[in-house]
Amino acid sequence: MEALRVWRASSNLFGFGASRAATVAAAATPLYLHTCRRSHLRTAATAKPPPQPPQDRRRRSASSSTSTSDRDSIRATRLKKVEELRGKGYEPYAYKWDRTHTTKELQEEYTHLENGEVCEEAAVSIAGRIVARRAFGKLAFMTIRDDTGTIQLYCEKYSLSEDQFEQLKAFIDIGDILGASGSIKKTDKGELSVYVKKFEILTKSLLPLPDKYHGLTDVDKRYRQRYVDMIANPEVADVFRTRAKVVSEIRKTMESFCFIEVETPVLQGAAGGAEARPFITYHNSLQRDLYLRIATELHLKRMLVGGFEKVYEIGRIFRNEGISTRHNPEFTTIEMYEAYSDYESMMNIAEEIVTRCAMATHGKLKIDYQGTEISLERPWRRETMHSLVKEATGIDFYSFGQDVEAAKNAASGLPRIKVGSNESTSLQACSSVGHVLNERSRFENQIKQHNAKEVKSTKGQGDEDDYSYEVSLDEDFLTSLEYGMPPASGMGLGIDRLVMLLTNSASIRDVIAFPVLKIQ
Amino acid sequence: MADGEASASGLAEKLAGLSAGGGDDHQQPPPAGGDEPQLSKNARKREEKKKKLEEERRLKEEDKKNKAAEAAASGAHQKASAADDDDMDPTQYYENRLKTLDSLKGTGVNPYPHKFGVGISLTEYIDKYKSLSDGEKLVDVTECLAGRIMNKRTSSSKLIFYDLYGGGMKVQVMADARTSELEETEFCRYHSGVKRGDIVGICGYPGKSNKGELSVFPRKFIVLSPCLHMMPRQKGGAGKGQGNAVPAPWTPGMGRNIENYVLRDQETRYRQRYLDLMVNHEVRHIFKTRSKVVSFIRKFLDDREFLEVETPMMNMIAGGAAARPFVTHHNELNMRLYMRVAPELYLKELVVGGLDRVYEIGKQFRNEGIDLTHNPEFTTCEFYMAYADYDDLMELTEAMLSGMVKELTGGYKIKYHANGVMNPPIEIDFTPPFRRIDMIQELEAMANLNIPKDLSSEEANKYLIDACAKYDVKCPPPQTTSRLLDKLVGHFLEETCVNPTFIINHPEIMSPLAKWHRSRPGLTERFELFANKHEVCNAYTELNDPVVQRQRFEEQLKDRQSGDDEAMALDETFCTALEYGLPPTGGWGLGIDRLTMLLTDSQNIKEVLLFPAMKPQD
Repeated sequence: MEALRVWRASSNLFGFGASRAATVAAAATPLYLHTCRRSHLRTAATAKPPPQPPQDRRRRSASSSTSTSDRDSIRATRLKKVEELRGKGYEPYAYKWDRTHTTKELQEEYTHLENGEVCEEAAVSIAGRIVARRAFGKLAFMTIRDDTGTIQLYCEKYSLSEDQFEQLKAFIDIGDILGASGSIKKTDKGELSVYVKKFEILTKSLLPLPDKYHGLTDVDKRYRQRYVDMIANPEVADVFRTRAKVVSEIRKTMESFCFIEVETPVLQGAAGGAEARPFITYHNSLQRDLYLRIATELHLKRMLVGGFEKVYEIGRIFRNEGISTRHNPEFTTIEMYEAYSDYESMMNIAEEIVTRCAMATHGKLKIDYQGTEISLERPWRRETMHSLVKEATGIDFYSFGQDVEAAKNAASGLPRIKVGSNESTSLQACSSVGHVLNERSRFENQIKQHNAKEVKSTKGQGDEDDYSYEVSLDEDFLTSLEYGMPPASGMGLGIDRLVMLLTNSASIRDVIAFPVLKIQ
Repeated sequence: MADGEASASGLAEKLAGLSAGGGDDHQQPPPAGGDEPQLSKNARKREEKKKKLEEERRLKEEDKKNKAAEAAASGAHQKASAADDDDMDPTQYYENRLKTLDSLKGTGVNPYPHKFGVGISLTEYIDKYKSLSDGEKLVDVTECLAGRIMNKRTSSSKLIFYDLYGGGMKVQVMADARTSELEETEFCRYHSGVKRGDIVGICGYPGKSNKGELSVFPRKFIVLSPCLHMMPRQKGGAGKGQGNAVPAPWTPGMGRNIENYVLRDQETRYRQRYLDLMVNHEVRHIFKTRSKVVSFIRKFLDDREFLEVETPMMNMIAGGAAARPFVTHHNELNMRLYMRVAPELYLKELVVGGLDRVYEIGKQFRNEGIDLTHNPEFTTCEFYMAYADYDDLMELTEAMLSGMVKELTGGYKIKYHANGVMNPPIEIDFTPPFRRIDMIQELEAMANLNIPKDLSSEEANKYLIDACAKYDVKCPPPQTTSRLLDKLVGHFLEETCVNPTFIINHPEIMSPLAKWHRSRPGLTERFELFANKHEVCNAYTELNDPVVQRQRFEEQLKDRQSGDDEAMALDETFCTALEYGLPPTGGWGLGIDRLTMLLTDSQNIKEVLLFPAMKPQD
């Protein structure tokens, strides 16, 4: 409620500021010509109303709290302020600002002050975005937010230099980025504040911030204009801070096991290592089609052949598939391969990674995911797929032996089971196959099966999945196996899904800063 | 799965004859004991003493023989194995090995055991036992090692020397029929089937040969993964280097000479990197160095409170740099997508969103030709720092790069074969601070020019066309002012930038995303760092005035219309983001591949890419 009220107050101030700015601007024009530099003149000369933007990659949608015409008039008003500031010899897009503190550091350092106490000897300097302001006769309060939190700016007409207080009232809007310096005061009400002696507009914002409450509900806009989402909802940025922590923790874990990080190609002549539809592109000078990788597996295994015994890669994978709350066309995985180990080792590493990440982000191993409590305490249950199926369905599929039809019949009699629930579909480990002949025949089989599906689906009688893409045999990889790959195990882990789990996010779009969205 | 594994390891044992537990999980094979008849305490003591004496006598004899054998083997340049295989046609060799494998499988043996319990890495083994004295052997110790056989020297059918490689280190293997758990005939048969290139697991005791070479004396020896192809061989015979460090330990900052590599053919090295890594031992250090470069940058930025983020690699507009993008298509969304050419615009959007310090290390893609410094995909680091300007970033750059060179090489100077491996290397000095030269001022001084101040004028364009003609500097059309300047700067200034040098204050027309200079009209607050005449970094005080940004994009559009298809496209979402307010920000980009090239004395970018893009074969 508080924020809303502040918002209205500031909207009223717009009107005042706008009319004032207009008159001052007219009066200041000659001065402007004398004091400004060439590049600004050019700016001024073409400072016509900004052109209507064409369609773009994520077409901007009007702020939900402000209609398009409101936005345009606000922009025009603020552009006038920009001109006027320059007319007075101020640059509304400053070059730099030296900070002494972040807001969080100030809040911690001066928390001991008594209500009403002023710490005169403090000389602090901060910068951030104005998210609230209230101006009275000779006193103004603003709330400034930076990367770490917020603090109040306490602005008194008489402690500021001559015209700064007037400037504050006339030119500062919510959304502007400000640098402020001064001492520290805790107000009578107990609000720690910077007692401002000097401030500078560092960046003049042209568009109004979205209304916090409406902005939140416009899901589509949150993803299309992530920066607006982050300004309106600072906790959104926390997801990305957690994401960075998770990735960093994974790296530390791998380093502690002496794995070495490598980079393998995204653009490949043949997309191998998984069964998925690849993106295709064309390289002009090589005059050939290239595929975006669908996995890093086959190249990492080549590294094992080359004598690296523990390798991993954290990187982007691309699959030309539909988007959903669990799928984005590009996503991030870690894949790792370890010579002379088997899948037991991979299970241990998986436990190690996930528990370390949980401790780094939550400080505990019991976490909540969408209302379900998940315990990550080790050891994790290890059960064969066969007995899990038996446990869930009561059917012992071993009892069917080679009779696939009978097994299928038994399965189709079951009530629909939703596959891939919350449980860790993000983890997949397998004991790597270093078996040349067998691997080749497996590949050939995979391709045969795939092609069969492709034929079926082009005839319009296939199942729901679309298999109309080519799968090719990675001959180079098979040759590398012929030089001998040590017995090894490997694992792939979906980092986006792990971050979803650890940030209690329902959709993959919440953990990807700029997810792929449909064209509006 | 468990069943399969057990039986597989069982079969592996069969393959190794009667050796105990060849493929199972236990690292220590149970020393013969369990099945022995129970003896009284004294009897056992007597028995042990007797055994010990016997063993000692045996070892003495063995030593004598081995000494002779070792000398013979290294002198004869593995005559025996050469006679075996070296003259064989590679295709014949491959087919023979396939046949052998097939017949093994026919007898129910799996030549690819699922697991071998490695107890110690070669590096650890060397550390642990390097202080043994010459001829000393620890017969009561058992260690399990694994690696690739890179040399086989047959002294006799009952004594074979191997060089075992792993983790960049080498340990000699003295396979002696009398030490082995195999019967003598079985031993001879088994070892005659072991080839150079095979990956093997060994359990045996450590010791040094009389010549002082740290070795392992296998009780158990099992092939884990056979190499079906003939390996490229070192000229002049192998095993010439004594000691366990692989010959010529290379460290970052030192010169390299590819001409001395065992495998020199570039095509093979780049197309089959695993072969390159196997036989050219220096190569693994190139990639370790690359990994260290990346970790150093990450740590440097993490320490300064930067947040690592990931932005899309597929965009609807390829913005942030002037380059031709790759195009692809999303089927289900029926959407044309471009591979990113730079993460810049997204990262700045995140700064608008309130993340004051962000960075991304990742791949960029440019649909351009392939040459010594260009690969279609390459790795960059970009960071953005709110409230900082390009002066701050120059200081940060100096701190980062000089700090990195110091940490990796121990000093500030590195050796680099700038004039080919046949000529002596030059020295590149990373001692801070780096030289700074003002682009236009320095160009005018060096080329004796007086370029018209308004660079966007026709007059300036004409002046520069004439200047290029005068100095015979080629600039293929379109001859935009921006391209002409670029060619002149390349010719006059970049040539002088051997030690790291900042070229600063580029004109606005060359820098659509950089902020106008605070005191020099027509210029921007930008720098590029050059080292060995190549661009390594590019950075500027970010343009954050949305009105000016739109104009700059429009000017780019003009260049595009005049035929420069690498001019930047307008990104409306980005301009809108600027309207919400981007704080004063310094932005910075670094080419990780090129930096790694400098630190690894690589003249070709393919040297620092594990799997570089190659022309299609055939």
